[in-house]
Amino acid sequence: MSDLIGQAGSQVPPENVVAPVRTGPTMISLRGVSKSYLADTAALADCNVEIHSGEFVFIVGHSGSGKSTFIRLLLRELLPTRGQIIVAGQDLVKLKNWKVPYLRRNIGCVFQDFKLLPNKTAFENIAFALEVIGKSRHVIRTQVPEVLRLVGLEDKIDSYPDQLSGGEQQRVSIARAFVNRPPLLLCDEPTGNLDPQTSLGIMKLLERINKTGTTVLVATHDRDMVDNMRRRVIALEGGRVIRDQDRGVYGYVD
Amino acid sequence: MSINMGYFVRESVQNFRRNWVMSLGAVITIYLSLLLVGVFIATGFVVNSVVQSVEDKVTVQIFLKDGAATEDVNALQAALLKDPLVKGVDYTSKDDALKKFKEDMKQSPEIIDQLEGNPLPASLDVTLKEPKTVEQMVAKIKKMPLFLTVADRPDSPEESLKYGQQIVNKLFAFTRVIRVIEVVFVLMLGIVSLIFINNTIRLAIYARRKEIGIMRLVGASNWFIRTPFLLEGVLQALIGASLAILSVIGLQAAIMPRLRDALPFLAVTLSGGATAQIALSLILAGVFIGIGGSWLAMTRYLKV
Repeated sequence: MSDLIGQAGSQVPPENVVAPVRTGPTMISLRGVSKSYLADTAALADCNVEIHSGEFVFIVGHSGSGKSTFIRLLLRELLPTRGQIIVAGQDLVKLKNWKVPYLRRNIGCVFQDFKLLPNKTAFENIAFALEVIGKSRHVIRTQVPEVLRLVGLEDKIDSYPDQLSGGEQQRVSIARAFVNRPPLLLCDEPTGNLDPQTSLGIMKLLERINKTGTTVLVATHDRDMVDNMRRRVIALEGGRVIRDQDRGVYGYVD
Repeated sequence: MSINMGYFVRESVQNFRRNWVMSLGAVITIYLSLLLVGVFIATGFVVNSVVQSVEDKVTVQIFLKDGAATEDVNALQAALLKDPLVKGVDYTSKDDALKKFKEDMKQSPEIIDQLEGNPLPASLDVTLKEPKTVEQMVAKIKKMPLFLTVADRPDSPEESLKYGQQIVNKLFAFTRVIRVIEVVFVLMLGIVSLIFINNTIRLAIYARRKEIGIMRLVGASNWFIRTPFLLEGVLQALIGASLAILSVIGLQAAIMPRLRDALPFLAVTLSGGATAQIALSLILAGVFIGIGGSWLAMTRYLKV
């Protein structure tokens, strides 16, 4: 189970594939997962993926390849049509509806469109995320400046989103996702709206977060980023896992 | 928890202000429906008190014809006093009857002025030990031969007898009709209020869909997302209910003295306890409508 190399059609020469160093408990486990929105078309078909605690993983693929479905299944915004999904020790298929919020407190989320509230400052946006899960004022006052320092925005603490650049907004969004120190960070096209230079900064930030022990999963079609980082890559096509390799590259010729 | 309560109240008040036209509309519809409910309940209390007082005072009045022989009247009185159902029998002369009539009609002197001579009959007023036995007693009196000889109108015994049950029966028939109309009105207004609250909460949810999306994402619990909207509906309903209670109390202060003056022969009263009961039921009805309307909107527009 720990060795997934050699699964379906690797397009990368074997010398690029380094033996996996996967330790720690399982963070994400998909077994035989299929998801169909309509009766005869599968958004995901028979996916088997195992991601361990502390890994940094890219999910790559064209639009419509199933990346977003993959992310939404992990957040339990969707239930799979078939198969078993375990995230942070929770069986998502069996998980009761009312327990879903508590699952999501263990998963940080970053999106292409940042999802910041325009009428709140950077501080207030992050504080909001803590406030609504019932954290005390004391916790908010100490944790928010700390996480803003971590993403390098300590001097923008009272800026509104429209006073920040795209990269800065995404940093705020990452800060919000990470302020609660979740063991898992999901990023859906985090650099989709950003220029390459800014994207690099965001990726470095995600790498730094990964070094604290947080499992980071990035769905992207940013070829340069994936090729530069040399991290584990899971490639999806037509809803199937067509490649899963450590220190991989993007690998498509678009 | 204390932080949360502050947060919920702040949020719901903010929603209310952000969308104050719709909120005001909801408040007004609730106010009007509850005001009507309050007035209906108050009317019910008043009618009950009237019925009660009439029942308490049940007497059978036997109207005597002018110039009935004194010994016949005395004999009838004696016969009645012997009856086990009877507590007492009082004789009211024509003059006494006129005096009492003038007293009752003090408000309308023009009626008294129009009287020529004394059209009122003398009467025997029979008080009973038990108000319930009035029908039985009336039947007995009708069968007495002496009654027919002294009665005001021997040709129709019904006209010569007056007793409270008739009024009570009429009141009951009247209140039954009123009650049906009340229920229909209250139901319709209740539905309108529900729809109105449902609509304002729907708009509030729409206005805050971005916040709600983020709350879901970061793992706010379902009740945490829902409570501000529930509270907003309850807030609207409570404001409406308070206005309705104030209006009912105001109306009561304005109308009750006049009603008492206009109907001096009926005990028109509304006790403080009744007012408290009305206030309580209006608040409960308001909270019910508020929660109902918000719940309706949440289950339809707020998928968590």
